[in-house]
Parts: sequence; structure tokens; C-alpha cells
Amino acid sequence: MNAPVLEVDRLVKHFPAPRGLTVHAVNGVSFTIREGETLGVVGESGSGKSTIGRTVIRLLAPTAGSIRFRGRDITRLSDAACRPLRADMQMVFQDPWSALNPRIRIGDLIAEPLKLHTRLSAAERRDRAEALALRVRLTPELLTRYPAELSGGQLQRVCIARAIATNPKLIVLDEPTSSLDLSVRAGILDLLAELKEETRAAMMFISHDLGTVKLISDRILVLYLGSVVEYAPSDAVFADPAHPYSQALMSAHLPADPRAVVRRHVLEGEIPSPIALPPGCAFASRCPVAVERCRGSRPPLEAVGGDAAHLAACLRIAEGANRIPAEALHP
Amino acid sequence: MSGAALPAARRGALPWWLRRVVGVSRRSPTLAIGAAILICFAVLAVIAPWIVPHDPVAANPRNVLASPGGAHLMGTDGNGMDVFSRVLAGAGWAFGIAIPAVLVGIAVGVPLGLYTGYKGGWADEIIMRVFDALRVFPSIILALAVVAAAGPSLFNVVLVIGLLDSPVFARVVRAEVLALRNSTFVESAIAAGNPTWRILFVHILPNAIQGAMAQSAVRAAWAVRISATLAFLGVGIQAPTPEWGAMIRQGAEYLVTGQWWVGIFPGIALILMVLGLNMLGDGLQDLLDPRRKAASK
Amino acid sequence: MSLLSVEDLHTHFISRDLDNEVRVAKALNGVSFSLDAGRILGLVGETGAGKSLTATSVMGLLRPPAKVVKGRALFEGRDLLAMDADALNAMRGRDIALVVQSPKSSLDPLTRIGDQLIRIHRVHRDATAEQARARAIEMLTAVGIPDPARRMAAWPHELSGGMAQRILIALALMNRPRLLIADEPTTGLDVTVQAQILDLLRDLVRQTGIGAMIITHDLGVVAHYCDEVAVMYAGAIVESGPVGEVFARPAHPYTQNLIGAMPERLKLGHARTIGGPPPNLYALPAGCAYRDRCLRAADVCATPPADMPLTDGHVARCHRIEVAA
Repeated sequence: MNAPVLEVDRLVKHFPAPRGLTVHAVNGVSFTIREGETLGVVGESGSGKSTIGRTVIRLLAPTAGSIRFRGRDITRLSDAACRPLRADMQMVFQDPWSALNPRIRIGDLIAEPLKLHTRLSAAERRDRAEALALRVRLTPELLTRYPAELSGGQLQRVCIARAIATNPKLIVLDEPTSSLDLSVRAGILDLLAELKEETRAAMMFISHDLGTVKLISDRILVLYLGSVVEYAPSDAVFADPAHPYSQALMSAHLPADPRAVVRRHVLEGEIPSPIALPPGCAFASRCPVAVERCRGSRPPLEAVGGDAAHLAACLRIAEGANRIPAEALHP
Repeated sequence: MSGAALPAARRGALPWWLRRVVGVSRRSPTLAIGAAILICFAVLAVIAPWIVPHDPVAANPRNVLASPGGAHLMGTDGNGMDVFSRVLAGAGWAFGIAIPAVLVGIAVGVPLGLYTGYKGGWADEIIMRVFDALRVFPSIILALAVVAAAGPSLFNVVLVIGLLDSPVFARVVRAEVLALRNSTFVESAIAAGNPTWRILFVHILPNAIQGAMAQSAVRAAWAVRISATLAFLGVGIQAPTPEWGAMIRQGAEYLVTGQWWVGIFPGIALILMVLGLNMLGDGLQDLLDPRRKAASK
Repeated sequence: MSLLSVEDLHTHFISRDLDNEVRVAKALNGVSFSLDAGRILGLVGETGAGKSLTATSVMGLLRPPAKVVKGRALFEGRDLLAMDADALNAMRGRDIALVVQSPKSSLDPLTRIGDQLIRIHRVHRDATAEQARARAIEMLTAVGIPDPARRMAAWPHELSGGMAQRILIALALMNRPRLLIADEPTTGLDVTVQAQILDLLRDLVRQTGIGAMIITHDLGVVAHYCDEVAVMYAGAIVESGPVGEVFARPAHPYTQNLIGAMPERLKLGHARTIGGPPPNLYALPAGCAYRDRCLRAADVCATPPADMPLTDGHVARCHRIEVAA
């Protein structure tokens, strides 16, 4: 097995809210990402996926739990101490238009990490920026332009070039294709797949779009209201999701094929607020197979069917009662 | 997105810069008029030494208080100096006070606004309350007191006006910084490993400075007015320097006795310049704001 | 007679830039489609294709510098674009309803939602306060809002995204319109909530027999909920027809690329260069607007392509139609 790049143990992140309340964004999340591995982090609003992405690279300070990056504990490092680490952990944001300073030229934006973390001369940085632009399939003449002159797809490529400039060991991608047009997404995903092969970096791919996540991830982490509900290899989750929420989520995905037979479970109600978390399983209020016990205490993450690589947090699995019944599915 | 270029033959006979002038004027007539007024004054200020019919500070006791006309287009004042020449020379003084004062205001106010806006917390609270207190206090009184104590030199006047201006620049920049500090590109800059000073000066400042730029013109108008007021009140620039405020002060004495030209002509010049600066500032704000937002996507 | 029939709609944005040059953006270039009662049409396209603009043009909601320069929009035989402002105003909100994007910013923040529902009903239908209130509660129930009587007093900021979207739908249906246009009704909503909203829309259409047009960029939504689809590019409809037919046998290169780019059909490493910069509406090429990005472009594409009928109802606007299997 490859060496672990990121080890997250019982991560907690809470935000203060007005009137003394607390937003419980992340509530005890644990996972590991190894070299060359891509972890797909899936969830809807309130799942905490973006917060986790930002916390593991220390853009936010964790409330509790631990984060180990390449064996080193970075949980309590100061901002200043984190800065040199940023050469090795980078992030690609969702909206490429707002992620780039509109007043700085593309070439300088791509070269900025080099300027901050290496001792390359200006000429060397220029050459590297050009090489990076070509690597992400941008023509070098775009390097002198400003962000406003490029399209969304091109801008996202710039963001990716910027992110790989210092050969980071960990790249967090927060919904990198969600803001882009459909025809442009495929190109970006292709590029990411190539880079994954080439750089062997560990990647964390955060998205709400199951179709995209499936293409690029090795393992999947399914989140609901800040907790892990399922953590397993990608094939396992898509073929046979164990947790009822995963099942509902998978079934809600609409394939672009009118001939596909879609059997969906449409969840009732809305996602509860992360301010007032219910005591037991967070999903119990909307779960079609929940029982009284589920509202009592939070279910632990356990191996499904004896497979240690496939974990899910549901009391009903051990009883074999975790499948959403066929009557609850409809087209 | 820039428009497609039409073939040169179809663009008409106007050169590109004239077309730009017409385009801007249509978009913001205020800006056009303000800029026109200021350009006139600036040109006059520069060529004044060569076109003044008489030496602005040459006293001529044998020709005091002559009415406008003849050799003296705007008459002469109580010392026999030609009003017209003094009005022209005064333009140079107005710029000479307004520009350094605004620069001082920017040099002090902008870094303060950047820092407090970004950091927030106690520093922000304290500085903003100090600025609030300053604003409540009538600035004229404050300027008066300081200049009276420190002495009526050009340096003191410029410094006081500049310092009094700085809270405005700080406030305007801080407002922009507050909006920008949570934006994604700042987050991206932090994620890339930028130290705070780079975030402030390389990333935030260029995006936060627009508001301050538009304010400059308005603050310059204020600087001209305050300096004139100080001179009028006797604590700023003194005669025989051809500063409009000082001239108006002298002219006020003669208004009651009927020699209106001594004070009215410099007064008109002052009004026009302040108007021009204000219009320029207004027009710049109009032009910079909505167009930027629309053009950026 | 179809419920809505749009013929050759052209909408331009005319403005002057800082160089005092007149600039014209040709945002809609000959949009034609028709929609029958009881059917759901999906209008698909990427950013800038002109989908939302089509809806606002048809409903007379354009503001300068946008202008309809040519075309007709026949609603039950009457041309909406030729009507005077008062007549059109009377129809909007009553006979034709528009559900817009971003529900939370589309509701009046200073009025309780019950009052907003009542207001729109009384303006158009001459109802008494009690009648309007009863109808409002009826609509809230129909869109699946729990405890509707109490919800009438809620403020817009208290609503979640999904709830706000349901309220917008309720608002749209208060006056029993015959045509409903929903502009990106599920963008920004969670996947599980999207399913609820779309099911609701489909059920309402089936029950009331109204005609609906869903504007979206999500092909999955179109595949599953729409009867007909119209694909837009650079302000024109490049392909249209029954959903099953168009998805199974797409004829226009753009449609083929769009469907090929869907994650289900995508094999990584085989992405052909299908993306590209959006068309510059200020300088559209002569002839087919897709020419610059099209892998099958030929000399003939320099002339404007015409609508080529394929099997019944399936039309594509292209010189080089090659139906893939």
C-alpha cells in the first residue's frame, strides 16, 4: 500500500453563530488519503464537505480532532508555520472567475506559488509558467492576458496550473467543474485524470455530482450533516450502497438517457439545520428504514459484511434491514 | 469582451482619442465637464508665468483699486497689484496645495484602511472610533487651531489638510477591503502561501483603490476650499502670495466700499475650480463603478 | 393550434461603448419552436446560448439595451410581441407564469408569503380577500408545504431554498395559467430536493393539463421529465424533437457533443475537443455559428443552415447531418 499523505482523525469544526448558537459543520470525520489516490467527497448542502476541504489544508483551524500531513501533525500549527507547507498542499476552487485576482496577469498568477516557495529567477519562473500552461493545454500567448479575457474552462485550467506549480503532494478540489458548462467539464476531468497518473498526488475531489465523482475517484466518502455515513471503494458504493442515505442519493441522480429505468427514492422534507443537530443518527428524521433506536445514539462507522474496506454508519445494516424497500422507489 | 473592430473606412473621420472623448462624454457628461474645467485651469496654471500681463506680486501704490478695464482686465487691488495676473497665478497655488494635500491623505489613509479592514478586531475598532471623533469635530476649527499654533507656512497647511483628509481615504479603502477579504481570490492567495503583507499590497490594494481614486478629486476640491478658508481667516497663506483665499480676504474689506472686483474675481475662480473637481470626482465614481461590475464578466 | 408558437425570434443588445462605437450583440438569431398544452418542453443550452433570454423576450420583459428586432410569439394565436403593454401585463401572472431562478432573491423580502400569494391573485382575478386566502392555502398544499395555514405568515428569509422554490411555483399557479415557464427551477438546490420539485412540476402539469417549458442546462432533467427538447446554441435552436428520439439519435454535432460529454457516456481520455470559448455574440461568423468549434465543418457551413426535418418532429439545423447510431 502507498504511504498515507493525509490522515484525518475525528475532525470536528464548529463555527460560532449569532446569539450564542453554534453551527456544527463537521462532527467527527475520519479518513485517509494515500499517495496517488483520489478520494471523492460527496454530500449535499450542510454536509460539511467544503469545510472539511478547507480545514485539512489549514485554511481553517480545526475545533477538535487531528490532521496529519505526510506523517506530521499540522492540527495546531500557526498560520505562519503553515505557509511553507503550502508548497505541498494546494487547492482548486469552485468558481474560477472569483478565484483569480482580476488585476494580475495569468502568467503571474500561475507563477505565484513558484515565487513564494522557490528560489527560481524571474526568467526561470517564466519558463516554468509556460511549461505549466502547455501542460494544462493553454496556449502560452494567454499568459499575458488578464482573467477577464478568458473563458470559464480556460480559467479553471489556469487554477489547476497554479495548483500543480510546486508539485504538491495533496490537492483539494472543491467542486472544480460545477460552475462550468457541460461541454467544458469533460476536458477538465480528462486533464485531472492525466495529472493524477503523472504526479501521483493525493487528491480530494469534493462534489455533489455523483456522475463526475464516479469517473475520477478511487474511494468515496459520503457525508450527511457533518458526519460520515459511508466510506468505501468507489465501485462498492456505486454498485451496492449500504447506507440508506447513499442509496437515496444514488437513486436521485438522473442519467442523461431517457431510456434508463430510474427507480428513485425521493426523500421527504429538508436537511435539518446544522445548528440544532438531533441526538441520534442525523439522517433518522428522513430515513425510510429508521426505527426508534436510531434516534437514540449516533451509529458508529462499522465494516459492512465483514469487508474492512467498506464502512458505513447505520444500525440497520447488522440486522440486514438497511435497504430501501422497493415500494418506496418510483420512477 | 471587446467589440469587433469595424473596418477603418467605416469608422468615420475622427481620430481614436477624440472618439474616446465623445464616448466618455456621452456616458458621463459630469465627468466631461469637470475634466474640461480642470484642464483649462491646469493649462492656465502652467502657462501663467508667460501670459500674465503684469507681475502678480508687483505692488503699484500709484494705481490702487483701479476699476476693471484697460490695462487691468480685472482691476487692481489695495496694493495696486493686477487682479487678473493674481487670479491666473493663483491657479498654480491652488494645484500646488491640493495635490500634495491629497497625496498626504492617501499616503496616511490608505495603508491604515488596508490594515484595519483586513485585520479587524481591536485595532480596527479603536482607529475607526478615533476617525469618527475627528469627523464630528468641525475640521475648519481643527485646521485653524493647528495652523495658528504651528505657523502659516505652505508646508503646515498642506500637512494639516492632508491629515484631515486621511480618515476619508481610510474609510473608503476599508469598506472595499471588508468586501474583498472574504472573496475567493484572497482565499486562493492565502492557500498559495502568501504572507499578509503580500495579500494586502499585491492582491487587495489594486482592487480596493478605485473608491479612493474617485475620492481624490472630491478631496482635492475640499483642500482648495479649506486652504482658501484658512487664508481668508488670516491663518493660512498670507498676502502678497496670490492665493485665492487670501485675495478674497482682502477683497471682503473692499466690498462694502464698492470695489467689488478685488474679491469677486478670485471668488469666481475658486468656485469654478471646486466645481470642476467635484464634477470630476462624481463622474469618475459613476464611470468606475457600474462599468467595472458589468465588464468583469 | 399550439399553446405557444415562437417564430423566428431575433433579440439584439444595442449599446455604445467608450469609443462611441455602436455595438450590437445578436443574442437570439431566429428562435422558433412550439409547445402544446399538456406537454413539457425542455430548453437546453450552455451559458450565453439565450435560453433565459428567450423566455424574457417572449414575455415582453426585456429592458434596454435589449430589444426584440424581429419575430412573433403566438400564445393561443395572439402575438405577444405585438400587444400593448397593458394587455401583456394582464396576461403575465395570469395566463402565462414565469418561475425564475434564485428563488430566495425573487420573493419580496418585506412581505409575508401569504400576502404575496393573495396579492397576485387579487390583482389578476378580482377575488375577495377570503377567496384569495383560500386559494393560497390550496396552492401551498398542492406544492407540498407542510402546515400551510401557519406558513402563510412566514417571511421569505425564513424559508430554505427548496421551500422558496415551491412558493414560487405556488405563486405561478395561483391564477391557473395555461402556460408555465420555469427557468432553471432546480439549479442550486440539493439533488434530493431537486427530485421533489421536479416531481411536483410534472404532476401538476399532468393534472392540470397546462403546457410547461423547463429551461435548464441539466440533460438528466430533460431526459427524465420532458416530452420534447430544444437545444440552443448562440441564440438559435440547433436541434429539437421528442426527447427519446433526440437522445437516441442526435443529429447536430453540438447535441452529439453535449450528450457525449455526460458522465455516463464519457470515457476519460477520449474527450474530443468538444469544449471551447462561448460564441462572441458581437461578432458571430457568417453562416453557422457553431462552425469554429465543429469537427465536421466544411465550406458549405459558411452559408446559414436551414432546419432539416428528420423523423417526425425531429428537426436539426445543420448542413452536415450525420446521425450517429
